[in-house]
Amino acid sequence: MLRSGGSELTITEFTAWFGKLKLDSQGEVQDCDLFDGNPEKLAELVVELQENSQAVPLKRTDLRDAAIECSFVELDEDYDVLLREVCIRAAKSQISRTDSDDSRIIQAVEALDDIDKNVNELSERLFEWYGRYFPELEMTGEELAGFVSAYGSRTNIPEGHELFEKASKSMGAELSFADEELLRAFANNICSLYDTRRYIENYINNSMGSVAPNLCEIAGASLGARLMSMAGSLEKLAAFPSSTVQVIGANRALFKHLRSKAPSPKHGIIFNNPVIKNAPWWQRGKLSRALASKISLAARTDFYSGELDQSIKDSLDKKLESIRQANPNPPKKKPHGKGGKRKSGGKNRSKKSGGKR
Amino acid sequence: MPVKELHSGIYELDIDDRKILATKNMIPGTSVYGERLISDDGIEYRQWDPCRSKLGAMVLRNFDIPLDADSTVLYLGAASGTTVSHISDILMDGLIYAVEFSPRTMRDLIQLCDQRPNIIPILADANKPQSYAHIVEKVDMIFQDVAQPNQAEIAAINSKYFLEEHGHLMLSIKSRSIDTVASPKKIFKEEVRKLESGFDIEFEVLERKELDPFHEDHLGLVAQIFVDEED
Repeated sequence: MLRSGGSELTITEFTAWFGKLKLDSQGEVQDCDLFDGNPEKLAELVVELQENSQAVPLKRTDLRDAAIECSFVELDEDYDVLLREVCIRAAKSQISRTDSDDSRIIQAVEALDDIDKNVNELSERLFEWYGRYFPELEMTGEELAGFVSAYGSRTNIPEGHELFEKASKSMGAELSFADEELLRAFANNICSLYDTRRYIENYINNSMGSVAPNLCEIAGASLGARLMSMAGSLEKLAAFPSSTVQVIGANRALFKHLRSKAPSPKHGIIFNNPVIKNAPWWQRGKLSRALASKISLAARTDFYSGELDQSIKDSLDKKLESIRQANPNPPKKKPHGKGGKRKSGGKNRSKKSGGKR
Repeated sequence: MPVKELHSGIYELDIDDRKILATKNMIPGTSVYGERLISDDGIEYRQWDPCRSKLGAMVLRNFDIPLDADSTVLYLGAASGTTVSHISDILMDGLIYAVEFSPRTMRDLIQLCDQRPNIIPILADANKPQSYAHIVEKVDMIFQDVAQPNQAEIAAINSKYFLEEHGHLMLSIKSRSIDTVASPKKIFKEEVRKLESGFDIEFEVLERKELDPFHEDHLGLVAQIFVDEED
């Protein structure tokens, strides 16, 4: 065993949750400065220590023994009870502080997706259901829901209304009063879901501008929010390499590429950006690479400085333009073979998959 | 109903010729994650689903489980507390330090801690044991289920901080979180090698078995800090 020479002199300090300890090289407690035993105060201290602690491993000292030795607590059980209370308080206060701007946007964008999914389903149901009573009505979605909630039965359409003719000659079945009420209530709910959807959309558009101005500028509010949601947070998105940003949302294609000889995906959800969506197919790979790199830059600028940097947008526009000009015509060879060979180099395989969630 | 104690606090119940893994419910009447409660002779047991718990799977794969009623355990990667609740049942007089990084799952874990007196929740990153070194004492066992690419390293550094000299490390290694494409066997071999000689703390691997069919591409492992006798 190793033993340092002047054992008296080598005193190490260690801050435990119950107090500051001075330990000699044998791990014996030489001195202790105990904290106040109030659980609330201790919890604050624990949180603070968690953020700043650079504690080294204690070789020969056990915290519990030390606490009893310093008479911070008398018995083992007291130690358990107090530590438990302190830690529960500390964890609760840490949790309550985790609500951040980007997490709110992420919740909103996920709620938006949920609404889309459900509202489509409900609208289809309404279409089928109401279609029994007024099949000639050529409406779907929000328009239909609005119509049903306003008029109910087709017999309620007033004379002079553009649909009056159609309604009076309809082959639809008769709608009883009870059914009409039911359908109206159902349609009302669908309408209010569409309203909520718009409300959330506005919320995302507005808050993206202040939370991630650059990301909003480069990718657009809803795409930017989706990228954050898929990455987990703005911080994580900022930490991703831009090659990952490029293929976020293309998980299946990416893993197919990594496992077999399938070509690598050119774009994930960034495809939804008009820059790529509206581009001809032979430019899309190049454009999405350029866009992804600027999205990364934007996310990093947002996370670390938070101020809008116009130069990112300018250099992106320049880059996009030069790509468009350099590739005006479709290539002759099949795009698949070419893209696949070029990108499926074995070297950064594991790296890429490591970056993905 | 025949009840067999497999290890301290871990039971195998025989219900209509079906064997069920269970622990004694510390808080009778409450089910933690929707598991079945079974009463026998005035004792209530909670069914332990090996497909939802790596430790449960390790029990059924005949690992020697180094847990006693008075053990102190550091649990890394506690998640919402499925496995933690069963360890809490086993440790009648012990204590679990449950470390979890995600505030979202910590919310569930805290509900559990509020009910059970022997769980201490810690919201922290298992990569940074220095951030909870002021809370956690020396423990008899470290259980780790973190699904991180650097699992072995996390185990090593936490053992350095918190594991008693003769304490045990129980590890569930998920090959998929190290490399999604490479063969699990190769990864397991490499991880075991790392534990045995890759860090400034060395381990002696006592037992290692894959956890299928309960968990695919997972390796269960029990190790101890290697002590050189001649030193």
